[in-house]
Amino acid sequence: MNDAGEYRELPQALDGIRVVELPCLDTIPFMAAAMAAKLFADFGAEAIKVEPPRTGAKERGLGPFRDARLDPETGGLHLFLNTNKLGVTLDLERPRGRDLVLRLLESADIVFNPNLPAVNERIGLSWRTLVERFPKLIVVSVTFFGAENAYRNFRGGDLVATHMSGVGWGTPWNQVTDLPNQPPLRIGGRQSDYLCAYTAAASAMIALFHRDATGAGQHVDVSQWLSMVNMMRPAMGIYSHESPGNPIYDRVAKRIKRGSPWVYPCKDGWVTFAAGGDRFWNAWKPLMGNPAWMNQEIFATPTLRMDNVEKIEAKIREWLPALTRQEAFEKAQGHHIPCFPVYSPAEVAANPQYAARHFFVEHDHPVAGRVTMPGAPCKFGGTPWRVKRGAPRLGEHNRKVLGEQLKLGDAELGALAKEGVI
Amino acid sequence: MSAKVPLSGIRIIDFGWIFAVPHATAWLGSMGADVVRIETSRAPDMIRRSTSPTGEVFFNRSGVFNAVDFSRRSIVLDLTRPQACEIARRLVKLGDVVSENFTVGNLRKYGLGYEDLKKIKPDIIMLSCTPLGQDGPYARTVGWGPTTQAFAGLCHLTGYPGGGPSGIAAAWPDFAVSVGIVFFMLAALHHRNRTGEGQHLDVSMAEMVTTMIPEAMMDYFMTGRDEGPKGNRDDAMAPHGVFPVSGDDQWVAIAIATDDEWRALCDVLGVPSLAADPDFARLSDRLRNVEMLDSEVAARTRNFGREELVARLRERGLAAGPVYNIEGLLHDDVFANSRMLVKLNHRAVGERTIPVLPSRFSAIEPAYRGAPTMGEQTDEVLTELLGLSADEIAKLRADNVLV
Repeated sequence: MNDAGEYRELPQALDGIRVVELPCLDTIPFMAAAMAAKLFADFGAEAIKVEPPRTGAKERGLGPFRDARLDPETGGLHLFLNTNKLGVTLDLERPRGRDLVLRLLESADIVFNPNLPAVNERIGLSWRTLVERFPKLIVVSVTFFGAENAYRNFRGGDLVATHMSGVGWGTPWNQVTDLPNQPPLRIGGRQSDYLCAYTAAASAMIALFHRDATGAGQHVDVSQWLSMVNMMRPAMGIYSHESPGNPIYDRVAKRIKRGSPWVYPCKDGWVTFAAGGDRFWNAWKPLMGNPAWMNQEIFATPTLRMDNVEKIEAKIREWLPALTRQEAFEKAQGHHIPCFPVYSPAEVAANPQYAARHFFVEHDHPVAGRVTMPGAPCKFGGTPWRVKRGAPRLGEHNRKVLGEQLKLGDAELGALAKEGVI
Repeated sequence: MSAKVPLSGIRIIDFGWIFAVPHATAWLGSMGADVVRIETSRAPDMIRRSTSPTGEVFFNRSGVFNAVDFSRRSIVLDLTRPQACEIARRLVKLGDVVSENFTVGNLRKYGLGYEDLKKIKPDIIMLSCTPLGQDGPYARTVGWGPTTQAFAGLCHLTGYPGGGPSGIAAAWPDFAVSVGIVFFMLAALHHRNRTGEGQHLDVSMAEMVTTMIPEAMMDYFMTGRDEGPKGNRDDAMAPHGVFPVSGDDQWVAIAIATDDEWRALCDVLGVPSLAADPDFARLSDRLRNVEMLDSEVAARTRNFGREELVARLRERGLAAGPVYNIEGLLHDDVFANSRMLVKLNHRAVGERTIPVLPSRFSAIEPAYRGAPTMGEQTDEVLTELLGLSADEIAKLRADNVLV
């Protein structure tokens, strides 16, 4: 694993950009703004995480904790999301806290705000207020449904976004045989939170290019729901192009099994496998020893193979149980056929491919000790991802940020702490 | 609104195909970049393939392609021919970003690897996207996102409690990777604009997916636990699931985070007494008795119609929504008016409704253009960018370079 120090001399792509992340005041855990700010921080931006005093950000309470000991400084999700950030505490529900947030935004390039419009109105941080007050600021609303439509004040989150997008409807993919007992399914973890985060980060970069060209900031409206809907574009394209009589049109609306799934059981677990296209079908033949059944006319074209997919699937189910995941992976990939082992988190952590690429990184955190976590989502050859500092302790940078950047004196900081503002 | 789109002046030479890379460049093209997609009818992008009810195959009528590959120009170039590679290199010289998702090493064979292109254009940014990344013992694996995500841990975590792993709809994670690529490319372009330095960006789809399962990965690293799928449930909320409502295969998603929200749910379901039941009163009770809890809730939700229950839950400020299939989604009024569905013109199929970017920008009007037919702008690009004459283009076409 990478000791996170090998690239220390190189610059980072987002050096010099200043990001402020506001806390989500909803009771639903919603990590999109925290992850979006992390993406910026990990590639070099200065990211200031604003947290509610006392309790801190929601992820601090979610663990996972070593030895099941609840400690807001050592939760795994907190360490992952907040590494590389500066942390300040500010109570947004109080006018003084809100005033200090506004002062932080004076020197910021981007702010990620995960709160509902109604909440922002109440605390005086609506996007219109911010855009008017800071003409160069990029104000990114990262909300459940978007900041401007009729759903804007409805509460949502990962589960609701997944199921209102259509992604949950089709999951599990081509495995449902018993509709009442196999409901539409959430994807593992909080995929819509993290997808929404990538969407917010990409959108904020677009707005940054706009500002480079024009000098003007703007409001960017990122919706968790629409970020998930964005995944459904193939089905939407089919709906606007194919006639209702076309089998593919009907297939995208129904969730009962109607073709091959991605996953199959093998000797010691499961693998993904897909060989329907000509190139893969032809590569699969020699791997199977060129059996006569593969040369039947009913399997001659991709369309015919789709029509007879159950027969092919039955053959896959006969063949794979003789192989371990590793054998299936290596044999199929040896013939350039898509096939991968289904790994559990422990197996992901141990796999030699990630190890060779130093994907997981380790660093020492002053409270949590040695921390291992997922690293770069993309390897930048010239300006790499890296860990520069561990996740902040609650309020760790109050003095640095509020004192040095906002020029608050010790007496003032002391008074704010006493009032519970920081 | 500004007439200028923020990426005008940026040119992207896109060798990408299928979903993740071409859709990323659709975002950039919609923001004003000149995306030149290089493809060949000799080995067509599989998503260009569209089949009629009678089994007839078309390569320019695919709704999937048109919903993924908009806002670009297409030129045909058969890279197995040296002249085609030479044209590609000349295009790269005029480009800012090159994107590709071939198996590791394939572009090098054509003299189009990063080291080759850097010699032609020292500040070029090249993005390569593969299942497992550019190096390591399994660098040369092939696969699409839905097969690759198994390696990343996501497949194992998706499924019904106690059951096996599940595949995910919507070609997951391909379009999630697209969105990531937009961020990575723009970060690299931002750096180049400030410093003049290009670089190679190496996206492993699997690694990006693993950055999106931090709960499970950190659970393993912090505690050694290695858990399986949890269905629709959540470790911090209960009830948290998809519950049946009246009608065939109709469902509502409900996420309850606090005891107050639980009491409000029981009110809506017409069983206020359930709220005080000691088995369910506190979040810790509900998490412990989640099987029983889910059946109690499901027994009541069945008495409601979908829209009625969702409206009542929202009225009480609860997190809930209808479970949509594609038809339900397209009939949602808020979605229909979200400006995410736009009518774009296409040479072969005419005007069609295309899903565009999910984000809204108060100061940018995106420059959406319908997807190209295969090679639609071949002549235009070769004339405009490389100054080739009609005769030269005809000769290249006759030599099967432009197919």
